[in-house]
Amino acid sequence: MAREKIHVGLEIGTTKVCAVVAECRRDGEVRLLGVGESPSRGVRKGEIVDFQNASNCVHDALSDAEERSDHEIKSVWLAVTGSHIESSNHRRSVTIEGGGEITEKEIEDIASKDKEVSLPKDNDILHSILQQYYVDGREGVIDPIGIGGSKLEADYHIIHGVVNRIQSTIRCVRKIGIDVEDVVVNSVASAHTILDDQKKASGVVVIDIGGGVTDYIVYENGAVRQSGVIAIGGDHITNDLCIGLRIPITRAEKLKIEEGSAFLENLSGTEKITLKNDTGFSGKEIDRSMLNLIIHSRLHELFGILRNRIQEVVPIHLLGSGIILTGGCSLIKGVREVAESVFEVPVHFAHAQSITGPTSAFDNPQLSTCIGLVKYAHAVDADAPQESFLNRFISSITRKLHLI
Amino acid sequence: MITYPRYLARQSEPQSLLIGLGNAGINIMDRLISQAGFPMESLAINTDQQSISNTLASKKISMGQMTTHGLGTGGDPEIGLDAAKESAGEIQRAIAGANIIFICAGLGGGTGSGAAPLLAEMAKQNGSLVIAVVTSPFSFEGRRRSQQAAASLRDITRFADAILHFENDRMSELIEPHAEVRETFAICDNLLFRSISSLNRIVTSTGPIPVSLPDMLTVLRHSDDSCLFGCGEANGENRGHHALESALRSPLLDRGRLLHDAGRLLVHISGPPSLSMEEVSEIMREISNNLSPSAMLNLGVSATHDHSSPLTVAIIGRCGTAKRTSVPPKVTPDLAALTQSQPTVPPASKPEQTEAPFFEIPVAHTAHPPEKAPAPKVQQPLLPLDPVTRGRFDKIEPTIVEGQDLDVPTFLRMKLKK
Repeated sequence: MAREKIHVGLEIGTTKVCAVVAECRRDGEVRLLGVGESPSRGVRKGEIVDFQNASNCVHDALSDAEERSDHEIKSVWLAVTGSHIESSNHRRSVTIEGGGEITEKEIEDIASKDKEVSLPKDNDILHSILQQYYVDGREGVIDPIGIGGSKLEADYHIIHGVVNRIQSTIRCVRKIGIDVEDVVVNSVASAHTILDDQKKASGVVVIDIGGGVTDYIVYENGAVRQSGVIAIGGDHITNDLCIGLRIPITRAEKLKIEEGSAFLENLSGTEKITLKNDTGFSGKEIDRSMLNLIIHSRLHELFGILRNRIQEVVPIHLLGSGIILTGGCSLIKGVREVAESVFEVPVHFAHAQSITGPTSAFDNPQLSTCIGLVKYAHAVDADAPQESFLNRFISSITRKLHLI
Repeated sequence: MITYPRYLARQSEPQSLLIGLGNAGINIMDRLISQAGFPMESLAINTDQQSISNTLASKKISMGQMTTHGLGTGGDPEIGLDAAKESAGEIQRAIAGANIIFICAGLGGGTGSGAAPLLAEMAKQNGSLVIAVVTSPFSFEGRRRSQQAAASLRDITRFADAILHFENDRMSELIEPHAEVRETFAICDNLLFRSISSLNRIVTSTGPIPVSLPDMLTVLRHSDDSCLFGCGEANGENRGHHALESALRSPLLDRGRLLHDAGRLLVHISGPPSLSMEEVSEIMREISNNLSPSAMLNLGVSATHDHSSPLTVAIIGRCGTAKRTSVPPKVTPDLAALTQSQPTVPPASKPEQTEAPFFEIPVAHTAHPPEKAPAPKVQQPLLPLDPVTRGRFDKIEPTIVEGQDLDVPTFLRMKLKK
C-alpha cells in the first residue's frame, strides 16, 4: 500500500523527548504510525541547557519512533516553547485600489505586513494568525474577497520569540542530520489536537501544563485572542516537594506521580504516606495534608496568574467551552477542582480527536503537542495544495534560509 | 542635575581605625587587613604576647604586661579589665585622631569580654564614632562563657554607637555539620569581615543615593539583640537576583526569614557603572515582598568606577520587637559634632524614657520620620525552611512574574506573606 504524506512531530520537552510519526490522508484523517519517546536530559523550563545531552535524547526518541513506525525520518516539525515566547494583537490596514472590490492581492498585501510589527530587537515572528477582517470598519468579515469597500483592515495575533533561543533548539535537531520543516509554538500545536471549530467559535482556553513550562492559548469567536508561556511546570511541583518534605528530587518526582493530589477537602490530617527506604535514602513518613497543600498552593497560584492574563483580553465567564487542561501535569489528581475554583467555569480534560492508529496514545495528554504538530503540518499542506512544484521548492528554500 | 549633599563630604576625610581585641578580634582583623587595598589603620591589642607578634596590624599593643606577664588572661574578664586599665595610657595615644573606630572582639573569653567595654569607653571619650563588631560564644562552650559575653555586651552597649552582634551558634548553622573546625571558624570570620567592609563601604562610598551615617546608626544603634546582616555579591546575568539571594542566605538573617521581623532595614546596593535602575528596583521589590509592611526601609545606592566590580547587596537591620523600637533614633552629642552638615530637628517632645538607664544621654532627633510600630512577630512552626531556596532552578533564568520569583516554592512565599 502506497503511503500518503507522512509527517513527524517532535517535541523536546523538559521531562521527555517525544516524536510522533503519522500518515496524513487526503480525506483529512490523520493515522498514527508510531510514537517514540526518550526521557529528556539537559532541558530546563522547555529550553535546552545542555546541548550534547539533549541532542542524544532527540536521537534516541527519533530512533525509537523510526523503529515503531517503520518509517525513515528525514525531517520533523518541531515544537518550541520557553518563557521568551510572547504574543500580542495588532491591527493593520490596506487601502483598496481600483474598482473597490477586494481581491486576493489585498489579502496578500495585508498578510505580508508582518514586517511592520515592531518587536524587541532579538525577536522574530513565529506565527502570525489572522483574527478577523474589517471592511470599512465593519467587523466580523470572514472572507472579504469579492466584497466592495475602500479600506480593508485585519486583526492579527502575533507570536514571537527570541531568535537565538529558538535556533538553539533547531540546531539540536539538525546536529543529528534531521531537517526541521518548521517550528510551531507548543500552544498552537496543542490547540490543533484538542480543539474543533465549534469549541474555537464558542470560546475556550487550552492550558498545557508540561514539565518545565505551561503554555496557554485563548480562542474566542473562532480566532486566537491570546497565547503565552509561563515558565512553571511539573518540575516546580517536584522541586516544591523536594524542599517542603525534605526528600531527594527523584523520590519527590515519584511521589508526585504516584500519590500527588491537590485535594484539600476530606483530609483527616493524620494520614501518612510511607516512603520505602532506598539506596541513599532511609525511608520517611510524610503527612498527606502537607503533600496536598504544597501541590495545591502551586497549582492555585499558577491558575491565578493565568486567570489574570486571560482576563486582560476576554472575560473568562464568556468562554462557552470553558477551560481545557492537557499536558503531563493535568494527570495530577484534583487539578481540575483547583482550576474550577480559580476560573469559576467548567474545566475539562483534553482528548485528541479525529486521529486513528495505536489507541494508547489518544488519551495521553503528554502527547497532545506532538499530535498537534502533525495536524498542523497537515493543515499547512491542505492550505497550499494548488502550489506548483516550483513554488513549493522556492518557499521551502526561503523557509530554510529563514531558519538558518 | 540635582546633587545631593553628601554627608561626610564637607568633613575632612574620615579616619577609620580598626581595633582587633583579643585572639578572636585579631583573627578577624587580620583577615580584613589581608584583603588588598583595605583602607583602614589597624591596631592589635592583646594580652597574649605570642599572638600579637604574628598579627599583620600596623600598630600593636601588648597590654597588661605587669598583670599577665604576656601570657593571656586565662579566660577571666577581671584580669582582662585590669590589663586594659594598666595599659590605658598607651591605648589612649594609639586611638587619638581616629574618628571612626571599629572594635572587633570575640566575647566570652578574658581579653575580649574584659577589655572591650573599657576600650569602647575610651574611644567614646576620644570623640570617635564607635562601632563594635562582636561575636558571642557557641553554646557548647558552657554557660559561664555565655554569661561573661552577655555581661560584657551590656557594658559595651553603654558606649558604642552601633553594635554588630554575631552569634556563633547561628553562624554555624550555615556551615555543613561535617565541615572542619578550621573551616567553620574561617567562614565565621569571613562573615564578620564582610560586614565590616560593607559598613565601611556604606559610610565612605559616594553615589546617587548615599546613606548618611545617622541613617546607618539608627539601624544599628543599641540593638542589644543580634543584628540582622547579610551581604552578597554577583556578576554576570541576573546578578541582582543572585547577589540578593546570597545576601539573604546569610545565617544572620536566618536565611531570609528574619527579614520579616525586621523593624528597620538598611539596604545598600553598590555596583559597577553599568548598575541599572531596573536592577535596583528589582532587588528592592524582592526585599519588600518579604518585609513586614510597617518596616522602615533605608536605601543606599552607589556605583564604583571599576567596570569589573561585582554587584553587591548588603542588608543590615535589626529585629523590630516592641521593646527595642520604643527607643527613638538618636544621635549623641559627639556624633552631632561630627555631623554638623546634617540638619537636626530639635526634639518636639521629650524623648520617651526607657527602662534602661544607659540611654539617659541627651538626644537629638535626626530628620527621620519616627519609627512605626512593628508588626507582631510571625510564628512559623510548620515549615522551618529556607525561603530563598530555588532548588534545582538555582542556575537557570528565574521565572519572575508580577515581581515574584516563582521558582521559590509557592507555599513558602505564601507563609511569608501571611
